[in-house]
Amino acid sequence: MVAGRHKSRTLKRVHKRMPGGSTKLTFQKRKPKSAKCSKCGIELKGIPRLNTAKAKNTAKSKKTVARAYGGVLCANCLRMKLKAQARA
Amino acid sequence: MLFEIGRVCLKIAGRDAGKKCIVIDNPGTNTVLIDGETRRRKCNVKHLEPLDKVVSISKNAPPAQVLKAGEELGFKGLVEQKNKKEEKPTAPKKQKAKKQAPAKGAKQQAKPAVSPKKAKEEKAEEEDESAE
Ligand SMILES: [Zn+2]
Repeated sequence: MVAGRHKSRTLKRVHKRMPGGSTKLTFQKRKPKSAKCSKCGIELKGIPRLNTAKAKNTAKSKKTVARAYGGVLCANCLRMKLKAQARA
Repeated sequence: MLFEIGRVCLKIAGRDAGKKCIVIDNPGTNTVLIDGETRRRKCNVKHLEPLDKVVSISKNAPPAQVLKAGEELGFKGLVEQKNKKEEKPTAPKKQKAKKQAPAKGAKQQAKPAVSPKKAKEEKAEEEDESAE
């Protein structure tokens, strides 16, 4: 029987193998949802789903795209945006 | 011709997206040679948005000429490129600097002899001993 505070399913249940060979039920934080393009909503590539602790120890260049609006807009939406600006 | 030599363009793909450039060579294929706010590189015309300006520039114009044209057009971030290109021919000067480097190294070697860190550690040890 799980403890009362663990019944809500806020935390993810993971069976971890212990050094002694037995398995133990652990409760872990869920991964954040993947980054989406703010215009069309498509999943952005090259943006890892990291929790805050892990994200902190990862280089900025590994969490974003080197393009303008990288990590915010997808490549197609940026292309449309820049074209519209140039033709306006 | 849309992408003739001297056409000012906006790059709309890749890490240079949003930066302006000038076409400096067009061999008639899908790719053209560009330079300006972007790096000097070959580029597919699908990745370029032509603007309404055309400047007079020679084919395969040297970086200095592109810089001059870019300054007139109000391109940004050109100064950094200028400095980099000036540094390249002055390679022999760097070798002179290397000769001076051993002197700096000698100073660094001299520092451990003074060893302020070690002195601190010794002090700390003494304090620990006194605490015990
Ligand atoms: Zn999009």
